[in-house]
Amino acid sequence: MTLQAGQTARVAAQARLALRPGAGRRVLRGLGAGLKYALLGLGALAMILPFADMFVGALRSPADVFANPPRYWPRDPQWDVYARVFAELPMLRWLVNSVVVTVTITTLQVATSTMAGYALAKYAFRGNGAIFRLVMGAQMFPFFLFIIPIFFLLRFAPLMGGNDIAGQGGAGLLGTYAALVLPFVVTWYGVFLMRQFFLTIPDDLLDAARLDGASEYRIFRSIMLPLVKPAIATLTLFSFVYHWNEFIWTMTVTRVAPDLQTLPVGIYLLSGAFEDLDQKALQQAALAVSILPVIVVFVLLQRMFVAANLSSGVK
Amino acid sequence: MSPATRAARAPGGHGAAPWVFLSPLLAFAAIFFVLPIGFSIYLAFTRWNPLGTPRWVGLRQFEYLLTRDDQFWATIVNTFVFAGAFVLIGVPVALGLAFVFGRARGKAVWRSVYYLPQLTNIVAIAYLWQFVLDDRYGAINRLLGMVGLRGPDWLTDPAMAMVSVVLVMIWYEAGKNMLVFSAALEGVDQDIYDAAEIDGAGAWRTLVSITLSIIRPAFVFVTITSFITGMGFFALILAMTEGGPRGATEVTALYAYRMAFEDLRMGRASAAALILFALIGIIAAVQFRLLRERT
Repeated sequence: MTLQAGQTARVAAQARLALRPGAGRRVLRGLGAGLKYALLGLGALAMILPFADMFVGALRSPADVFANPPRYWPRDPQWDVYARVFAELPMLRWLVNSVVVTVTITTLQVATSTMAGYALAKYAFRGNGAIFRLVMGAQMFPFFLFIIPIFFLLRFAPLMGGNDIAGQGGAGLLGTYAALVLPFVVTWYGVFLMRQFFLTIPDDLLDAARLDGASEYRIFRSIMLPLVKPAIATLTLFSFVYHWNEFIWTMTVTRVAPDLQTLPVGIYLLSGAFEDLDQKALQQAALAVSILPVIVVFVLLQRMFVAANLSSGVK
Repeated sequence: MSPATRAARAPGGHGAAPWVFLSPLLAFAAIFFVLPIGFSIYLAFTRWNPLGTPRWVGLRQFEYLLTRDDQFWATIVNTFVFAGAFVLIGVPVALGLAFVFGRARGKAVWRSVYYLPQLTNIVAIAYLWQFVLDDRYGAINRLLGMVGLRGPDWLTDPAMAMVSVVLVMIWYEAGKNMLVFSAALEGVDQDIYDAAEIDGAGAWRTLVSITLSIIRPAFVFVTITSFITGMGFFALILAMTEGGPRGATEVTALYAYRMAFEDLRMGRASAAALILFALIGIIAAVQFRLLRERT
């Protein structure tokens, strides 16, 4: 439809609305709006309730738990539970591991994605198309396919962790930070995202820099990277959230290496210690601590995050 | 394109530069993509307890899983129930939310609230729902108790446990899919609605024949990605029910994972993972065809 036809249609529609007896319709509209917010509100309540339940639960004392019937609302909120979490659990260790692993992976992913995305977007060379198809195709492979083979590739890595040249004799890379980081050095989705952003940057810029005699690496670092800062912020946020929350892989390789466990993994593998009813509050407080950093990061960078999400939607 | 660009873009114009930029990706693709997939396929034809060396057994692992392992088939059924229910309920819920969200004020607030679960690690999701769904003292059954109803045994009754994990999965993914839908809906031109109204189309007809056909690409995308996610997702179930009670929520990906890391049957677990992957691929392709063609 042309713009003009659309405009005509809108005017006609408005005219029709104006001519119509309005009262009944307005009531219906009001009802519609009420229903709309009722639905959204109900959904929002469902989203928040489990989190609220966790915060309330963390504050219960053993007296609340063992009362008959057990009290839902703590009579004497135990705020020191958040201190106890750090005193009684290896919480600090987990927190440090989470930060180290997440920051390392995020940094590496941003580096590899910008480099690869730039090459795919701005250079014509034999193999470009094939590599791009690999990037798109690889995204289709679910992670569960890789757990077993990568676990043993790391286990039998030659000359690492006491292994001989044939990969025998030691524990390989298992039990090192490398095992947590290496399988995530490249994110296919991130490469795709960066390629799309680099495509929007005009080639003239490149040509001008080349005429000025800048080297290819200089162009990338000093001209191109600053131009894709929004995309880098987006990717940083995605990587951070994803890898802060990553669970299955980290759990698999750190099950026997408590020193390397991250927050979600540590809390999961220690669940046996929370069996007793009076330990539940401790578990709930630990969960709250594991969630909080991501929420803080999200709130700080919400605008960018949302923009990223929308642009990732397929239209 | 300027002549300079064309020259610059000629093959070999900048020598090694693109390959230097791509070298981490290529190394990664070789070591952490091609090699593992090859290894995985090889393992599926062997019997291997990692203490020894793999022994070639041909198609025996596939034959065992497909013809003799009743539990494997039970997990396939569970996988389909989980992914199917998640798609059939979760996608319309997300679409409905996107409709009301698109016309509401205070978008930033609603968006943050609905996105909260997506920011939360899956262990926390699983445990906080365990608390809420606790048979006797969970928030939900307490609420039901206050109005005199006896709530179901959400996680200990085998029939309810599957319902519970599906509901949590829908809850977990609702915000993400809602945002994809609302982005698509924002792209719909208001004029089209006006024109429909002129033509005397009712609200329902407008919804079905205009809105849904315009957001079809988003619909196809969300449906297929949700299905793929649902078929392979086992972290939630592992942390929430451990596949129980009595195997009621044991899905194939979880079954394969435990076969590998608890029973140490690497060959059979690789075969199970490959069968699941093939199933996902085939059904996603069929879905893509069906949803595409009805335009």
